[in-house]
Amino acid sequence: MKNVGVYIGIFMLIFSGSIFWQSLSLEYYRASAPGPGFLSLWLSGILFILSLIHIIISVKKDIILFSDILPKGKGLGNVVALLLSLILFLIIIPYIGFTIASIVMLFILFKRGYKWYWSLGLSTFVTLVVFVVFNTLLQVPLPVNNFGF
Amino acid sequence: MENVIYLLQGFETALSGWNLLYCFIGVVFGMLVGVLPGIGPTAGTALLLPLTFAMEPVSAIIMLAGIYYGAMYGGTITSVLINTPGEAASVITCLDGYPLAQQGRAGAALGVAGIGSFIGGLITILALAFLGPPLAKIALNFGPPEFFALILLGMTLLSSLMGKSLIRGIMAAVFGLILALVGPDPLTGTIRFAFGQTNLAGGIDIVALCLGLFGMSELFISAETNINGQKPMKVKGVLPKREEWKPTFKAIGRGTGIGGVLGFIPGSGTVIPTLLSYSLEKKLAKDPSRFGKGALEGVAGPEAANNAYCGSALIPLFTLGIPGSAVMAILFGAFVMHGLTPGPLLFQNEPNVVWGVIASMFIGNFLLVLMNVPLAGVWAKITTVPFKLLFPIIMIVAVVGVYSVNNSLFDVGTMMVFGFIGYFFKKAEFPLAPIILTFVLGSFLETSLGQSLTIFDGNFFAFFTRPISGTVLVFCILVIGLSAYAGLKNKKSVMEDSEM
Repeated sequence: MKNVGVYIGIFMLIFSGSIFWQSLSLEYYRASAPGPGFLSLWLSGILFILSLIHIIISVKKDIILFSDILPKGKGLGNVVALLLSLILFLIIIPYIGFTIASIVMLFILFKRGYKWYWSLGLSTFVTLVVFVVFNTLLQVPLPVNNFGF
Repeated sequence: MENVIYLLQGFETALSGWNLLYCFIGVVFGMLVGVLPGIGPTAGTALLLPLTFAMEPVSAIIMLAGIYYGAMYGGTITSVLINTPGEAASVITCLDGYPLAQQGRAGAALGVAGIGSFIGGLITILALAFLGPPLAKIALNFGPPEFFALILLGMTLLSSLMGKSLIRGIMAAVFGLILALVGPDPLTGTIRFAFGQTNLAGGIDIVALCLGLFGMSELFISAETNINGQKPMKVKGVLPKREEWKPTFKAIGRGTGIGGVLGFIPGSGTVIPTLLSYSLEKKLAKDPSRFGKGALEGVAGPEAANNAYCGSALIPLFTLGIPGSAVMAILFGAFVMHGLTPGPLLFQNEPNVVWGVIASMFIGNFLLVLMNVPLAGVWAKITTVPFKLLFPIIMIVAVVGVYSVNNSLFDVGTMMVFGFIGYFFKKAEFPLAPIILTFVLGSFLETSLGQSLTIFDGNFFAFFTRPISGTVLVFCILVIGLSAYAGLKNKKSVMEDSEM
């Protein structure tokens, strides 16, 4: 199955189903007004039905294949690099601090278009500027390592 | 007269040192966003949203509004000089703007675009200044049922008019509404759908959602196309010929009218006014064959229309609290983030903010026309900056920006997840604007529904017994019905065409 519409429909189906299930445990109506589960029950129910309709439409008429919408070659590489570098950044930042994590993330991204020494220089420079602007000037407490960066 | 005094006080606020600087930063950043293909005004506004967190509310809104209308000016430059629209509203400008540039008249094209944008923007800001307060006064008489109906109308129009499929539009709207329900219930405080995550107990952060859906997803899409810098055409002589002034001004007038009216309608977007203005100019022209080959009216009309739309779109936001587009929804979020509620009480409770923002838009438009017309060549040179240099920088600014709001890495993760969702939704032609609109209006909708049902003793049909809420709800049903009918008719004709 390579139909994007079906996968989005399934995602919406699971999402709405889980919200619907949770809504059942919330109060539906109080003495004078709707309870916290009222709107969510209706909305998730509606979304569940719409998701089913969307899956049927996606299978029968409105077919959008992954191969039609996903980039190929370097374009795909760029998208994957963006996503993976961000995931890596989120994983390593609590251990090695903002500065090194950011240099690693930016190096992966700059490396797609520049030679390694340019990438290293650019990622270090950009990281230092961002660190100074946010941490020092705007006083945002960026996560740091034991050495304070 | 009262409005004039308020407006003068607004100028006092807008011209005070910091606010003037923020207005300048906003319009310059807006111009950049407009000039650079791959980042639109929605993503640009979302990108600067976290940076406004520590600012005064009036300064923050002045800066964010500046990005919005600044982007409309910037998009024109790349449309004319390199035939690449910086944002959707400038697509139509390419049709005649670029041929004019090829004929060595890039300056004239940019000149009339700048003048048209300035006039269009200025007239609708005046409309906002003089129509806003009386409209807000009328809206003050509305109760929860009327507000519920109006919010629903805004959502319905946006879901129906945006995107190619009604069902996807409604799914996107409902998805956004459910996301808005995560966190405490506005009436009882019960925590909902946090799935045991303390980070979700306060709800999904609006900045993470906006930056994910619009910023990250746009970055993903731009990264796959590998946009490279292009050499722009040279700019000479920014004024049109003497005989061209009259038809140009007429086109600007008509464009302003079209954009001004459509700005009131949620979901119409900046593209529809430009398209309508262009078709009207072509229809009214003595020689329609000039269009597409370098007609100045084909640049002036649409440019006036998209800027008029921007000013006019603020009227429902300021007076009723109904955002009509994704950027307006982000501005709505900015108001809420700064402890303000857009709507009829805004003019009454926060005159300093409202009039300061309105006055800043006069100043911003003036700054933009100064920067746009004589300095167009300089701005166009920015397009030579390669995207491979820009996208890692945009990425780290987005990451640190979203982190800085709550000092939370969870929010960065949320942004990444919504970036991924937004990317696939865009690819599968799901409109993203309804998600953000229903997200920002979700708690207002739930509160007004709860209050209304309390008034009506739980009888939903009582909404139809009140003239305004009843009429608006009937209109909502009609909009959905007509959109469904139009969708079915289109599909039928497409099928018949394919059978032939």
